[in-house]
Amino acid sequence: MKKLVLPLSLTFVGIVLFGLSFFNSKKVSGDLDISIVKASSIMPAAHNVYANEEVLDGKYYLFKAKITNETDQTLEDVTVRYQIPGYVDWTELDVIGEMFQGQTASVRCYPKFKDDISEKMTESTEKVEIEISWDGASEDDIIEEEFSFRISDRNEYLFTNIPTEEIVGWGDVYNNDALLACFVTPNDPIVKYYTQNIQEKILMGEAASVTKDPNEAIRFLGGIYNATLLSHMVYSGTKGIPESLQDVSKFSQHNRLPREVITGNTGLCLELSILYASVLSNAGLDPIIFLVPGHAYPGFKLNNQYFAIEATGIGGEGLGSIMSAEQAFQKGTEQLNEFIQKAQTGDPRYTLVDIHAVNQEGVTPMVLKDDDFLRKKVDDIVASWGSTRTINKATNNSRVASNTSSTNNNSGSSGASGNALSFSIPGGWQTFMRPVPEIPIITAQVLAPDQETTVTVFDVPASSGQEALGVINQYFQSFGMAIQYQLNGNQVVGQTFSEMGTFNWVGKTLRRNGGIRLVAVGAPDYLYNQSSGYINQVFNSIR
Amino acid sequence: MKNIKKLPLLLFLVITTIVYSQTQQKIDMKIDAIGNAQISLSMTMNAQEWQNWLATLGNNPAALKREIERSMPSYFLDDFKLEKDEMNRSFNLSLNAYGVCEINKRGVWTIDTDQKNANLTELTEHKYMLVSTPPDMGGTVQQTFTIEFPEEAQNIKIDKDAFGSSIFKFDMENSTSNFNIMRWAGLFLIVIGGGWSGAKLFSKSS
Repeated sequence: MKKLVLPLSLTFVGIVLFGLSFFNSKKVSGDLDISIVKASSIMPAAHNVYANEEVLDGKYYLFKAKITNETDQTLEDVTVRYQIPGYVDWTELDVIGEMFQGQTASVRCYPKFKDDISEKMTESTEKVEIEISWDGASEDDIIEEEFSFRISDRNEYLFTNIPTEEIVGWGDVYNNDALLACFVTPNDPIVKYYTQNIQEKILMGEAASVTKDPNEAIRFLGGIYNATLLSHMVYSGTKGIPESLQDVSKFSQHNRLPREVITGNTGLCLELSILYASVLSNAGLDPIIFLVPGHAYPGFKLNNQYFAIEATGIGGEGLGSIMSAEQAFQKGTEQLNEFIQKAQTGDPRYTLVDIHAVNQEGVTPMVLKDDDFLRKKVDDIVASWGSTRTINKATNNSRVASNTSSTNNNSGSSGASGNALSFSIPGGWQTFMRPVPEIPIITAQVLAPDQETTVTVFDVPASSGQEALGVINQYFQSFGMAIQYQLNGNQVVGQTFSEMGTFNWVGKTLRRNGGIRLVAVGAPDYLYNQSSGYINQVFNSIR
Repeated sequence: MKNIKKLPLLLFLVITTIVYSQTQQKIDMKIDAIGNAQISLSMTMNAQEWQNWLATLGNNPAALKREIERSMPSYFLDDFKLEKDEMNRSFNLSLNAYGVCEINKRGVWTIDTDQKNANLTELTEHKYMLVSTPPDMGGTVQQTFTIEFPEEAQNIKIDKDAFGSSIFKFDMENSTSNFNIMRWAGLFLIVIGGGWSGAKLFSKSS
């Protein structure tokens, strides 16, 4: 029996070790390694952007955590939770089914704030609490982390989300441009009410979004301008305009919301641009905000063409000059031409925000509630508009091209205002606006009494005459036609070939409103010599 | 692979595409046994593209790293290495991306291609290829992705996620589970002690 003591002892120790190994396996040694990258500040206006990881490549997270399993075990059901006391209750971020030794997980947090965060009027510093646990973790094992971050007030717009030490250029300083769309609030009941009043009392009806007619859309743009002008809205500064790349404290701006600009009757260039964008969007047009060094101005996009207005032309008595709607539109067009030239050369300081395009990417407007007090303020402002007939008359005169279809002698009446080409129409010729809906680049056609000699006005979204003629040719090809032309400066001589025969024409081009206008006059080849007198008369009158 | 496709696109964005010939990019993604990926991107350019690339990013690796990190904001990246072959106007960029694969509650691993109805070709049991021409670049870049799964990956399947994007699903056992010395020592002692006891008992009875 004594001889069996040693082997039996070994067997016993083996059984004990084997058994203990199962108890010990539940005990984790080592730890989870956590590294957190956080956003320093959150804008309440953009809370819907921070909630959606699909928006803008997911760059607007509250934090992201790199979690590495440095224990000696495979951890199961590793659960990451977080809360923001007062804003977001404990929320499960991710459950990682298994986490092997050495495995790393990347967990992102896109917090879903309640809509009432857009009523936040003061900035505050808040805390995020993060908790990581797993199956079988004891109270001591659970990992808790926390950090603080800043929530700004609803009016604050931060120009960038890039840390200051990383900023190297203009593009970095204005990295948040797309978030301007959060401040554009077409669905704000106050903005809606204001828009309806412009449509009814200033414009006496408008249908720009239905007809897609640039004239009508420009009239609407002028209507907004006139509404601000008649209510004596003034241009005024606000706090926080960045002065240099080193001036970190100025990397944000206090943006009055459109409803505050309307009722406060004052706004800065960016705020006025946001107001215009809100009203235009509410009316069904595609608003654009153009951003240039030290300035912003609004406009819209229609039929792939850009239009702009200088919203700050309202100035104010204290500032001296006040522009009319026509002057503001002309100034906007000049600025737009400069913008396109600069943007084409790749100058990063000239950018635009296509509000509806970024809306579609998930950058949605902040939600605002109706407010009876503000509605009454709008009523007071509308009452100050008074008689609008003069304004309407002036606005009608500012149309890009006449929309009058006339059989009378209307020489000179088909001219465009501003810097568009104009020409004299001989007596008895008929004008047709948008004669071919399938070819939207044809703005107007004027037909001679012989029903053959024709003047055609093209407005083509192109950067050069050559490109414009290429676009026209593409349209014509889809209708079985083709053009040949020779461009010499701004003058062009060409022929159009179709089943009907050959049409000879001459014309002039001019850059306007971000595109090219071509006025061409011609006749079928068999009639060209006979009509050359009229053709030359019209051609020479093109200015 | 979600967002990882942004990387080569971004690299090319800085190359002026005056010459509209199609450029080839090769992106190899090697996934390890714990769900991290080693990404290698190589590209050969024409003379003009090479000049532009050198002027913007090629001679400024810090800017290159910074741009890549910004193009993949939700990932943790490190170990950037850039090798240039100036003579042949080509470069190779490699980096590590952590936590690219995810394990769901059921223990199934997934990796997203970020592309609807991705045209995936199975090269081997653990290697797949995806050829795409991103519309972002107007068809000027053709990208060839190869995705190599680790040997531990089993039952690799192509599926769709809730948004209709093609995803890979696979199982992967833990290759890094530790050797439990106590358990194996215990077993060893049981076998030795049992065998010794048996031998003693056998010799006693005989």
